Amino acid sequence: MNRLVKDNILKGITYVASALSVIVLAAILWYLVSNGLSLISGDLITGDYYATTENAAISPDYSYTEMETQEYSGKGYYSKKWGIALEDITTAHNDEEISVVYVDPNSPFTHMNSLVAGEDGMELSLSSGSAVQNIYYEDQNGETVFLSRVQMKDAENTIKTLEEAEGIVSINYESIGGGIRGSIFATLYLILISLLISLPIGIASAIYLHEYATKNKINSLIRQGIDTLTGVPSIVYGLMGVTVLFPVTQLVGATSTSILLGGLTLAIMLLPTIIRSTEEALIVVPKSLRDGSLSLGATKSQTIFKVVLPCAVNGILTGVLLGIGRVIGESAALVYTTSTVISDNPSILSQGTSLSLMIWSIMSGEQPNYELASAISLIILVIVFAINIIVKIIGKRLAKSFV
Amino acid sequence: MLIDKKRVKRNKALDKFFRGFFMAMAILSSSFIVIIVLFVCAKGISPFLPGYEYGQVDLISFLTGSIYRQDQGLYGVGFIIINTLISAFIALLISFPLSVLTALFIAKIAPKKLSAAMQSVVELLAAVPSVVYGVFASGVITGIVEWLASLFGIVTYGGSSLLAVVLLLAIMIFPTLTSMSITAIKAVDPNLEQASLALGATRTQTNFKICLTAAKSGIFAGAILGLGRAYGEATAVAMVAGNKLFGPTFNPFDITRTLTSTMLAGLKETTGLDYDIRFSVGLVLIVVIFFSNWILNIVKKRIGRNSVA
Repeated sequence: MNRLVKDNILKGITYVASALSVIVLAAILWYLVSNGLSLISGDLITGDYYATTENAAISPDYSYTEMETQEYSGKGYYSKKWGIALEDITTAHNDEEISVVYVDPNSPFTHMNSLVAGEDGMELSLSSGSAVQNIYYEDQNGETVFLSRVQMKDAENTIKTLEEAEGIVSINYESIGGGIRGSIFATLYLILISLLISLPIGIASAIYLHEYATKNKINSLIRQGIDTLTGVPSIVYGLMGVTVLFPVTQLVGATSTSILLGGLTLAIMLLPTIIRSTEEALIVVPKSLRDGSLSLGATKSQTIFKVVLPCAVNGILTGVLLGIGRVIGESAALVYTTSTVISDNPSILSQGTSLSLMIWSIMSGEQPNYELASAISLIILVIVFAINIIVKIIGKRLAKSFV
Repeated sequence: MLIDKKRVKRNKALDKFFRGFFMAMAILSSSFIVIIVLFVCAKGISPFLPGYEYGQVDLISFLTGSIYRQDQGLYGVGFIIINTLISAFIALLISFPLSVLTALFIAKIAPKKLSAAMQSVVELLAAVPSVVYGVFASGVITGIVEWLASLFGIVTYGGSSLLAVVLLLAIMIFPTLTSMSITAIKAVDPNLEQASLALGATRTQTNFKICLTAAKSGIFAGAILGLGRAYGEATAVAMVAGNKLFGPTFNPFDITRTLTSTMLAGLKETTGLDYDIRFSVGLVLIVVIFFSNWILNIVKKRIGRNSVA
């Protein structure tokens, strides 16, 4: 009896310990969802991080009498007269703004010409998501009145004022910033560059280690070198990147740290992952296949390219997926190599941030932005978890393939 | 029989070429570790050499110093090394028992379906990028720390503290420790377990006394790996460490500074001593990890010698 009680207590402890890890995972997901989910939208993914200001006048061709605006029953305050609905929001930058939620296709705000120097006369249309800064309108006496952002107060008051106006002259508005399009592109560039370089080197290394290397001192030294790479902290890779690889990127015209530099650094970081998963796939390929090919007169390299590698394709795919996950999640190595300056239009030779680095960038500033950071984290987690599941499925298929 | 001699010759040459190519790539892959160590060493040592362009730094006061103030030109990483060791070890102390118990649960105790589900939980925790842990830490863990501190009547710096770093690291190394322990426990010879059961021990007694003892070498290897990860963790730690200018920090509610958070602090400079000294700190980090691994591997061999398996 005593023994039974003791056993159950011990068993209970393991249940509690396991429950703790479930709680931690749930807490992380709950925190990210409750903070970031509301921000996730098409605008977040396609938008710029930095807000741009537009100043536009209603086009002289626009006729108030001919255009009929429709009723609207969505959220926000709607003015049928001007075909525009406004709403109070808090932006990703933590500012209180009056945001456009709906613009009728026949609204005067869809027929405007830019007043910004350099873009004079360019046709503009107010789109939902923009933040209204100030408006010039005509009152009953036909005089132009300036309605500043402070006078607007909130969306309800603005609509009320506009309803009493006789005409709209011009509007100053800001596109809402806080978007992550630039960082998504930078992340894609990083994935592309790092895989393009580390895949051939990694696969070739794995082939050598598994197909050619005999047991001798040099080969075990090679293996040890690759194994040691796994234990190097990513921040040290960053240090290596700026000293060793920066001159390499200078050759192709980089003047500062760049996405190319970050990609090269990550390529080296990925090598152990690619090598290991390729090798694991090579191990599964039965020896009889190789022997069959060799005895038919194929050379060793022909056997490798035409028989062994096609069989190992799943393992290589696993390596690629794990590599992509690693690139998406990496931040420390990139702090030194791609800089922490968020870019809306990154190119391979410019600075920019990946999604993870963008989180670091907005969290380490003066005013950390928890909502945006959580939203990006959520996006990253969804991708990384999906990759994890796919890798698991491939792994199961790989285990079955030669049984 | 007709044999195209030219073709055979070409194939042989190709074969030789590919063999050389594969070997060259393997050598290239493994030479990166040498390149990393060499270049970080060269750049990290340069501030201590005479004739350094921004003014030579004294190596002894760098390694033993207890103040790190770039604005006053005081670079002492002695206390930072101690901070790093403290935070990593306490994190390991918290995480180790929990992860071993979880591993035992997954490998031996849990019903099959629950075991698979828990395994997935551990894998997902391992897949969470460190910067996401950082967001979680600065949003949730700092809150918990602040609340704890208020119970003792202590005001923290917004929750950034040694305790927050320790809790964060404990969570971050948990998946590494657990998955290594699972592998070790699953590798235990079933004969040992059956012998124990045959001698009249219960299933649970066997799990705790035989499996864990036999697997301790592998479990310890996981601990070494986890500790290495704790030392090198950068962005997440920097989010909750605060930047203490002197130390070492022993008060769990006080802010701290680790080697990695020092390397990430104030990245505006791209040349000069403030820039180069980061490589010196990085070099110290490499040396700390190397020595810690070396000592722990000796301990592991001792433990392994008494191990049953």
